[in-house]
Amino acid sequence: MKKKAGPLFYVFLVVFVLFVMFPFLWMLISSIKPLTELFGDKAFTPYTNHPTFKSYVSVFVDYPFLRYLWNSAVVATITTVYTVTVASFAAYAIARLDFRGKTFILGLVLSVTMFPQIATISPIYIFLKNLGLTNSYLGLIIPYTTFTLPLSIWLLVTFFRKIPSDLEEAAKIDGATLMQTYWKVIMPLAVPGMFTTAILVFIAAWNEFLFALTINTEEKYKTVPIGIAMFQGQFTIPWGEIAAATVVVTVPLVIMVLVFQRRIVSGLTSGSVKE
Amino acid sequence: MKNGGINGQNDLELGKKNPQLTTLRKEPKQKKAFSEGKAGYLLIAPAMILIFLVAVWPVLQSFYFSLFDLRLNNPTKSEVHLSYNVDLERYLNNYPFLVTALDNEIREGNAAEQLEAAKSELKAIDDKLQKDGEVKSQYDAVNDKLMNFEQPGTDIRMVEVDRDIAEDYLKTTDSILTSLKKAAKETKLSQEDKIIGLASGLKDSIIKPNFIGLKHYKDNFGDTRMWKALGNTMTFTIISVAAELILGLAIALLINKAFFGRGLIRASILIPWAIPTAVSALMWKFLYDGQNGIIAKIFEDVGLINKMSNLLVTDTGAMFAVIFTDVWKTTPYMALLILAGLQTIPSSLYEASAIDGAGRWKQFTTITLPLLKSSILVALLFRTLDAFRVFDLIYVLTGGGPANSTETISILAYKVMFSQTNFGEGSALAVIVFICVAIISMLYIKFLGKDLLNDGRGN
Repeated sequence: MKKKAGPLFYVFLVVFVLFVMFPFLWMLISSIKPLTELFGDKAFTPYTNHPTFKSYVSVFVDYPFLRYLWNSAVVATITTVYTVTVASFAAYAIARLDFRGKTFILGLVLSVTMFPQIATISPIYIFLKNLGLTNSYLGLIIPYTTFTLPLSIWLLVTFFRKIPSDLEEAAKIDGATLMQTYWKVIMPLAVPGMFTTAILVFIAAWNEFLFALTINTEEKYKTVPIGIAMFQGQFTIPWGEIAAATVVVTVPLVIMVLVFQRRIVSGLTSGSVKE
Repeated sequence: MKNGGINGQNDLELGKKNPQLTTLRKEPKQKKAFSEGKAGYLLIAPAMILIFLVAVWPVLQSFYFSLFDLRLNNPTKSEVHLSYNVDLERYLNNYPFLVTALDNEIREGNAAEQLEAAKSELKAIDDKLQKDGEVKSQYDAVNDKLMNFEQPGTDIRMVEVDRDIAEDYLKTTDSILTSLKKAAKETKLSQEDKIIGLASGLKDSIIKPNFIGLKHYKDNFGDTRMWKALGNTMTFTIISVAAELILGLAIALLINKAFFGRGLIRASILIPWAIPTAVSALMWKFLYDGQNGIIAKIFEDVGLINKMSNLLVTDTGAMFAVIFTDVWKTTPYMALLILAGLQTIPSSLYEASAIDGAGRWKQFTTITLPLLKSSILVALLFRTLDAFRVFDLIYVLTGGGPANSTETISILAYKVMFSQTNFGEGSALAVIVFICVAIISMLYIKFLGKDLLNDGRGN
């Protein structure tokens, strides 16, 4: 059903992209408006004659936004590296080795990805509190394992299964040692899959909200989603700063998505797993 | 590196240090099944242990907690107690001082007879406590600590006692308290307040078991707020997932063709999915704002709502706003999953049916839909579960308001646990969420059959 696209189709595309991107564009405009134009009649004009970067400066000066970014980066990176490593062993075994109970294990992994976070939070919170790990990086890395590890295993199993096993056999026949087979045959083929998994796990860890909200309550250890959500005070909401902060987190993301879009799509659709 | 000459024993040890080596080593054919199995278990062990510790065990513990009256802000209920316990620190901060205070009164000749009786009762109960070897050793340890003005550790502070002793203790301390009060009323005591305070402190040193069975569940099922939250969750889930499915399917069918600018479309699909939900919720909160929100204004202009300030302050307005945001954020993702399914359908099928004279609609119902069934079900399964446990979107956008009209069950559980610090009841709500999620998954998996697990290639 590969038909050529007509002009009407492009009109549809433009509308679709506009609809999806509109909130971001509006935030971009709002972030450079002066405070007076965020309210009243001027609030609805899609341009400004007095662009200013005040909101951006305020985000970094009046709020510990750099600290939030750093916290998120540390937690998401460590979580990603360690879960993908642990998961790669398990996924390799499930995809390539014969042992009893494989289907059961894969079923368990899949059901754990469906666990509601709220169902694990009270014991995890009490456990971390007793160990004095609330308000620390480890306090988030441990609970993040609940969703990143099953997700990584699930995705990696799919990727490992796609590597043709003939190659391993051929390498063996050619007299390659195990280490050679692994490093020269398996790894190069598995790297793209592991990388894709790492991107998806990183995004999931970066975006997590509930654990971060309950476990790291100190300003020093808040992550970006919590930090931005808590910009809103009791009575006032600093929309200018919120718009600027939104732009600051969205721009790197847009770049990342543009660079890795094929990988992300292949990861999302291969196991049909969200995030 | 020796080649294949390593015996099983060494191999296993090697595997512990570097699991990769073991699995990749191809064993001789006859040994293969045995050692492959072992290597397999070794490789999955770390992941399985972690999953058990951080996911399975906490869920079981949530269920366990839900059977207790667990409140973090109440020292006597901050832990689960299946049996009676004595808080030795508290006991020893009261008992010796009470005895001394009674002695002083007796020496001064104030109600000596009554106080003497109370004192001997006290001594008797103290002897009874100290009779048990385990209690005695912890008793002494805590006493030593307190003598040196140190804080006794939590491991020795609490000691379990038999039900008989505990009940005896409660009865005795109660009667002592009443007799002391009576004595104080009849005769003027020099340290009346102190004595009564110490006696009631002594009475509170016993911690009753806070096991309450299924009471939290019973209370929750009789609570209209719980049912309302469950209803809100269902409304949110059903409407948003249905809208996302229909729109996603339509978009996927439309863009399933060769066209210029595919990359742009793919990127614009991925961006709403990739940004943190909390950030997109806040963004929409700005767009929905009653005074300055552009989307609220557009809604008012097209007549969807009668006043823009009504959007976030009325029940239906707020629920609509939340659903609209969710649809915006996840429809593109749904379209992506369905598109992937569409692209696996060979075009020869359509060509063949076109030759047979089938129209577009017939092609859609006889080829596209049946072949898309499993992709759609997988996408629906994940979306339904996600929508059912929705938390951050609503927490940031409406906070569950106005008047709890967008409060979902996860939000309610969170509020009960962390605002009211009632972990027992909150855990019961969390278990209810878990059970609902399990039921939903089972229903879907029944439709999906083994497709999902068999090959790992769900679509």
